[in-house]
This record gives sequence, structure tokens and C-alpha cells, in this order.
Amino acid sequence: MPAALRKSVPHVVMMVYVVVILVPFLFVLFSSFKANNTEIALHPFGLPKSWKFSNYQEAWVKAKISVYFWNSLYLAAAAAAVGVLLSAATAFALTRMKFPKTSAAIYQFVLIGMLIPGNVLFIAQYLLVRNLHILNTHWSLFLPYAAGALPFSVLLICAFMRAIPTELEEAAVMDGMSAPGLFARIILPLTVPALVTVFIVNFLGNWNEYLLAQFFISKDALRTLPTGMVQFRDAFQTNYALVCTGIVFSVAPVAVLYGFLQRTIIEGLTAGSLKG
Amino acid sequence: MKTTLKNPYVYLGFVLPTIALYFLFFIYPMLTSAVYGFTDWNGLDRRNFIGFDNFANAFGDADFQHSMYNNLYFIVFSVFVQIPLIVVFSLLISGVKRLQGFYKTTVFLPSILSTSVIGILWGYIYNPDVGLIASILKIFGAEPIYWLGESKWAMFAILITNAWQWMGFYIVLILAAILAIPKEIDEAARIDGASGAQRAWYLTVPLIRPVINVVVMLSIAGALRVVDIVLVMTDGGPAGATDVMASYMVSKAIKFGDYGYGTALSIIIFAFALLLTALYQFAFARRQERVEY
Amino acid sequence: MKRNLVLVFTLLMSLSLVLAACGSKNNDSAGSSSPPGSPSASASESPNASPSASPSETKVEPFTMSLRHIQIGDPQKFRKAILDEVVKRTQEEVPGLTIELDGVEDSVNRFTKLPAEMAAGNPPKIFDVFGGAADTQKYAKAGRMLDLTPILDELGLRDKFLSGVLDPFSVDGKVYGLPIGGNTEGIFYNTEIFQQNGLNPPTTWEDLIKAADTLKAKGITPFATGNKAAWVGNMLVNTLIGRMAGEGTNPGFITGASKWNSPDVVAAYQIIADWESKGYFTKGELGKEYGDMLNDFVAGKAGMMFDGSWRSSAFKDDAVGKAIAGKVAFVALPPVPNGKGNQTSVNANYGEGYGFSSDLNDNEKAAVKAFIKNMYSDEMQLRGLLEDGVLPSMKLGDDSVAKVTDPLVKQVLDVLKNAGASFPHFDSIVQSKVNAETEAQLQKLIAGKAKSDAVGAAIQKVQDAENAASAK
Repeated sequence: MPAALRKSVPHVVMMVYVVVILVPFLFVLFSSFKANNTEIALHPFGLPKSWKFSNYQEAWVKAKISVYFWNSLYLAAAAAAVGVLLSAATAFALTRMKFPKTSAAIYQFVLIGMLIPGNVLFIAQYLLVRNLHILNTHWSLFLPYAAGALPFSVLLICAFMRAIPTELEEAAVMDGMSAPGLFARIILPLTVPALVTVFIVNFLGNWNEYLLAQFFISKDALRTLPTGMVQFRDAFQTNYALVCTGIVFSVAPVAVLYGFLQRTIIEGLTAGSLKG
Repeated sequence: MKTTLKNPYVYLGFVLPTIALYFLFFIYPMLTSAVYGFTDWNGLDRRNFIGFDNFANAFGDADFQHSMYNNLYFIVFSVFVQIPLIVVFSLLISGVKRLQGFYKTTVFLPSILSTSVIGILWGYIYNPDVGLIASILKIFGAEPIYWLGESKWAMFAILITNAWQWMGFYIVLILAAILAIPKEIDEAARIDGASGAQRAWYLTVPLIRPVINVVVMLSIAGALRVVDIVLVMTDGGPAGATDVMASYMVSKAIKFGDYGYGTALSIIIFAFALLLTALYQFAFARRQERVEY
Repeated sequence: MKRNLVLVFTLLMSLSLVLAACGSKNNDSAGSSSPPGSPSASASESPNASPSASPSETKVEPFTMSLRHIQIGDPQKFRKAILDEVVKRTQEEVPGLTIELDGVEDSVNRFTKLPAEMAAGNPPKIFDVFGGAADTQKYAKAGRMLDLTPILDELGLRDKFLSGVLDPFSVDGKVYGLPIGGNTEGIFYNTEIFQQNGLNPPTTWEDLIKAADTLKAKGITPFATGNKAAWVGNMLVNTLIGRMAGEGTNPGFITGASKWNSPDVVAAYQIIADWESKGYFTKGELGKEYGDMLNDFVAGKAGMMFDGSWRSSAFKDDAVGKAIAGKVAFVALPPVPNGKGNQTSVNANYGEGYGFSSDLNDNEKAAVKAFIKNMYSDEMQLRGLLEDGVLPSMKLGDDSVAKVTDPLVKQVLDVLKNAGASFPHFDSIVQSKVNAETEAQLQKLIAGKAKSDAVGAAIQKVQDAENAASAK
């Protein structure tokens, strides 16, 4: 086999894969501009005959996508941030403070959570948030999201903090710095790479979460993007152009963000899963 | 000076919020599950303790068994179809210089999207009237296939969608491991006259085995957790053909109002997960060290 | 000072938890500022927007009430317009009231959302609900729904409803829900396709079967359907049970007088199984939505569909089915050979309406009263009939009914007028678990995974367990 050919084989195979990934998006994008189902059925592959931007306006108004989007964004970010901060504080106490036996016990206790598949607790959590009278409020998602992040985050941040040398903090303690000061001014800044990783993993997990969001929230104004989009599809079952428009609306912002932050996101997610 | 890091109140301040939240949303639900699982609670009024009836029923419940098999399909498909492909693709990407970043970015893209949006998207791709696949089949004059409407196809269609979403993620994972192998090893083998395929199989694959093990673990965990994609694409249908344990549990609790039975099912799912994890750890991953790159 | 910092820090952390646990309701109205509904649809005449009832200038606390409805998507736009009008009037009459509309797809609301909310004790304040043991009566017995009897008495509405239609919404003589209208389920057929193929209207069993066979041979689907959610297919099952086992069968399921595994009910399921094997239904129906059924019928891919009379409004000139406007007719399922009971009986449902949460304060109760007054009026009942083809659940004069011009609605009225008897849908009678089982089993029957006798046996098993449980 000639060298040039041999060199191009991987590219050919990968291009096929890339096409398989991208074509569904293109198909949906083109469909979203088409006038109706007939045009989609008759000309499935081509560009639309005339670009129906009005689909976008219609979908935006009918699906309240902006509301869903905002709900998802702030819930995912707030829960991830709180989860990361709580975990970092705990990891600091477990790895830096001098209560070795208690710390080991707490560490093991929290790690039990890693063994529980997410949806196993669904019914019990449902009953819990109902008894707390927070069903159908954003608290019913915020709290489980923040809590759900804890075992993994504590594990990862602990691993990272153990690797930080003790000399720095010894000096700081000599200077009379308190434990919280030590945490906030010395350890936390040094842990930022791990925190970013944990934040990204948790954020995306929350952003994409469906099961709890579907059953804990039933008010339209409180829905998150994943459940809002399913609701939208159920309402406009056979208006395919409109459904495609909804898909574009929900994929585009994520794709753009990914375009800017791809390296961070990829590293965060993969590092997170390897250590977890 | 040592007292600074030995102050129990400060320690509690750091640890307590986490423990409280964790206890409330992990441990407490576990405990209540253990109680509800032994009742016939319907969510509204009646709640009687009925011993092990729910568990006995579960093991005689053909539909639940079927949903358990579907979880197994997920595992088998990811371990025996996806992972070999993932390794091949990773090797291919690692071998090229040009476009490596592009490939990596593109294949990774689906794994950051919400499963429910992907479910909607692929539901449309599979649509027998206007979907992408039906349109392609039409070019060849073939009849449309009712991917999500027929029992024999629906599970396969979901497995494909799931693979489409997650393969890129694992490819990037394994790719990182391959790229972390020191160049000198590969170079030495090349000078010894080993072909590309030989080097990949005899050199690279053994070196990245720890990561492959991690990927297998993650796939199994993911296969036991799967539920969103089923709920969004088929809601367990047609006729329960695509129900997985978790979706069956949700439907029993919510649609049938069988909260007691549903909780019993969730306990079984948990036991199942523990068992599989332990088995895997015991059989395959015992000697493996945790990998860090 | 450092100690203080620690204290503040710890406090903050624990405070966030406490807040999280208690601060429940603050969040409710977040992001609810968007106005409900689209004004475009409410263009029709609104004679008495009643300025007289406008609030006196007392200071009132604004309050919000949630309203769950199922009028989403294009086919439901006429119903939505009526609802919007009622909401608008109610808001004008009740000082401080904002009604927050929350639209959810019918079966999602009925079988997923509402049961979960009822179990949790936090249903919306006003919600779409079905009558019967599986829905209203179950929730009412659990104390979740408002007893409307005093309001009905005050408004003098109780005797305005057709006789018997409040029964599925009543427990021990108290009324907990109000049916919005009625419908019957029957055959819509495409007159153009029938003419082109030289077919008679499907008014006899022979003609029906001949039509199905002819269409099938021509490559046209005889019956459009979409059974991803099996309540769709249950419509035909229900009427076939009425034909094969008699019109009195359905109420007997909960008393034990009729059995799902009786030969007659199994025979009804066997007809479905036979039709499935003959290919009478849409291919891949288990993956198709209810909306697909209308879509296929409108696109001319199918010659008939078995659907509720509420669908008649979809074939108006300004509705989703305008492509075949004027080419659709409606008939009852014809008499079935070897059937039992009155073969001219039809299914008649007054099963869907509105219910109200029992958890209401005085302001909210006043709002409920205003809502009932506005929604259950002669005017809205007539609008429902004329604009939407929904049969009135309240007594309207003959002159009102004479105003109907829509030919399809006239045919629906004829079907009911010519019926020898009527019977309710079993889903307004049996317990929710039984109904869920009928859906699961119907899908198995369609998928060829269960035979008709196994289907009957499986449903009866759940029925027995539920009957035993409610006897306790």
C-alpha cells in the first residue's frame, strides 16, 4: 500500500464518523427553516426553498425557551457552585485539619454515595421534597443537584488537596492565620484547577438532568430546558419544522459555549471521570 | 500553633453542611426506601406492611425481568460493540497529526448535550414519514422502517442513539491515555520493524488497558443508570419493549401509583448495581491500579 | 475577630441549608410574568365583558392561582380561546387575581402529572380532571379536591347540568368536579377517498369491512391510529366492548358483575387482534403519537380513524385539518354481528372537566366561584358547541342546538340522537391501576406479544386486586 494512501485511511474513517455526528444536526437545522412537513418529506436533504425565519419567532413565543434556558442556567450554575464550595470546605477539613480518625470515617461515609446509581433514590427523594414542601419549586432541584455532586466532588478535591505540600500552610499558621483564612486565602486558590473540573462536571450534569426535573416541577414557568423541550415536542407532535426549531434553540447556545471553552470542558469532564 | 488546625468547632463548620445535605438527600432516602419497599403504599391513602411480597412479586414479574434484560443489552452493547470501536477510533485519531483537534472536538460534541434533546433529535431522525433515515431509504426505494414503533427495532434504535451520544466522550478519554505514552517506546518498536497495526495491538493497547478498564466500569455504571433516553424516546414502548429497570420503576410508581412496589424495585436496582460492580472489581480490575494522567 | 469570621462562615453555611429547607414558596412565582395565552385566538364576540363587576377601589393583595389545562397545540386552539376568555373575565372580576396558565399534554397530565401531584398533595389550584374512580373520585376521597356543592347551590347551577353527568365527579352526593362538555367516539371517514374507491359509508359491518379491505388493497391505511399512548386505541376497545358484551358492561367491572376475561370482552379484544393481523391500522402505530393519527388522516394516508367527536373542530377551514375540510363524515361504529345488547348504543362521555384543589384560602375560593360562573354558562357551552363541536354538558334550549351549522357537528348530534342507549368509557369507571393495565395490555396485543384471552386475564387480575383493596 502506498504511503500516501495508508496515511489517508485514518482520515477517511474519521471523516465518516464526523459525518455521522454532524449530519443529524444539519438535517435538523435545514428542517427548522422549512415551511411544513410536506416540504421536509419531499425535499429532505436540500436547503429550504425559502428560509422560514418565522418558525424561530413562533417557537420562541410558544415554547418559552428563554424561560427554560434561564432556569436551567441559573439552577445548574448555583447548584454546581454550592456543591463545589461545600465539597472544598469539607475536603479542606478532611485533608488539612488534624482529626485523622474522624476524617477517615467521614470520607468513607461520603463515598458510600458513589455506589448509589442516581435514579435509585428517585422515589424516596420525591417523597422527601414533598414532605419538605418544596415540590414544584426550584429548591426541589437545587438541593438534590447540590447534594448529588458531593460524593464525587469530595473525592476529587480531597485527592487534589492531599497533593498540596504542607510547608505553605505551616508558615501561614505561624503567622497567625486562622483555619478559615488558610482555606480561603491559601488552599482554595491552589485548588482552582480541581474546582473548575468539578464545577464543569456538576454543571453539565445538572444542565442535562431530566428525571427529577420532569417529576419535581410541573409549572411551565419553572421548567428547565430538558423537560421544557420534551413538553414542547409533546405539544407540537407533528409540526416537525417547529420541533426542529426548538432543538436548534437548545443546542446552539451549548455548541457556541463549547466552541469557546472546548479545551476546558473536555479536560474537565474526562479528568473528572478518570479519577471518579 | 497546632491548635489552629485542631479546633473542633471550625472543623464542624467545614464538615457539617456537607454531611447534613448528604445525609438528607442520600442516606435518609435510602432509609425511607427500605421502609416503603415493604409496604403496599399507593401514594395517597393506604399503607400496609406486606413483608417481602413486593420483592417476591418483582422476581415473578416478567415485565421487570424484561427490563432487566434491556439493561444487560446496554451493557453488552457497550462492552462488545462500542468499546472495540472506541479503541479503534482512538488509535486512528492518535495516529494523525492534521485535524486531530478537529476530530476530538467534533466527536466529543454530543456528550455535552442534554440527553432529552438528543432523544428528541433522534426521534426525528428515526421518524418513518419525514426522518433522515426514512428519506435515505427512500432513495434506494426501500420501505421505511418503524424504528421506534416496532419491538424488534426499538431497542436497537435506542442503543445506537446512546452510542452516538457517548462514544466520543470515551474516545477522548482513551485518546488522552494513548497520547500520554512516551514517544520513545513507539519509536523503538518502529525501528524494530513493527507495523502500525502491530504496534497498536501489542504495544499501545496493553499500555492503555487500565483506562479501558475504567471505560468498561463507566459503561456498566452508565448502563445501569440509563433512563432519560428511554423516557424521552419511547416511554418504554412499544409494549414495554424498551423499558429498562429505572423506567419501569418510574412507571410503576407514577403511572400505576404503586409507590411501595416501585421503591422495592429501586432497592433491587441498587443491589444489582452493587453486585455487578463487585463482580467486575473482583474478576477483572483487582490488580489494576487507579490511573492518573 | 477571627472567631467572628469563623462564626459568620459557619452560620452562612448552615443558614443556606435552613433557608433551603424552609423557604419553599418564595420561588413559586419566579419567572411567571409572561402573560398567559395568546390574545389572537380570543377575537370572537365577547358580549358582556362586564365592567359592572369591576373591583371596587379597595386595596387588595395581588395573588396568583395556577391553572392546569390540556389545550395545547394547534388542534386545541378553539378550546384554548374559550378558556382564555373565561380566564380574562375571571381576572377582571376578582380583584388582585392573576391566573397562571400551565398547559400540559392530556395524557401526561392525566396519567403522570396529576397522580404525582395528588400523591404529593400539591395539585394546581384549578386543573383539568377526569371523572370516575381512577381520577376525581379517588382524589376526592383522599381529600385533595374542593367540594363544589355549596358553590353550585349558590350559583344555582346544579340542576343546569344534564342528568347523570355529575355522577362520575361525585362522591356521597357531593360534587367535586364539573364536566366541561361531552363527546362520543366513532368513525371519521374521508368521503373523497370513499367515493373514489366506490365505497359505501361504513354504516354496516359489511360495508366497514369491505371498505377496510379495499383501502388496504389500494395501499391506503384503513384506520389511522397512534398508540404510543394506548388511550388512543382504548377508544375503539371501549366501543367494541359495548358492542360485544353489551352496553351495560363497563359499570360492572368494579362491582364484579362483568369480567375482563369473560368470552364477550375477550371477543372484543379479538376483533382488534384480527384487524391488527389484517393490517387495518397504521404501520408502526406503537411509535406514533395521537397527533400522528390526525396527521395521517388529514394527509389522505388513511381512509378512516376511530376518534372522539372533539376532533370535529380540526376539520374547519381555519384549523389544522383544513386540507380535507368538507370531506369528512362521522358515523357510529355499526352493529357488530353476534354482538350482545343494544347494537345501536353509543359511547357517550361527559368525563373531562375542571376540578379544584381543596387547599384554598378565601380569596382563592372566590376566584374559583367566579371561574365556575364564567366557564359553566350557557354562553360558553354554546360557544363550545358551535366553535369546537363539544357537546354541551349543561341543558341548552333546542333553539341553541339549532344554531349548529357545522355539518360534522350535526352528524355527531345525529349519532347521539339515533342511539338506542349510551354507555360511558371504562376509563371513567375503573381504578387507575386497571386503566393503566388496559393500556399496557392493549400495546402487547398490538405488538403480537399477547393473545386476546391473555390480555383479558391479565387485566382481570389487576381488577380483582383493586376491587378487593377498595372493599377493605
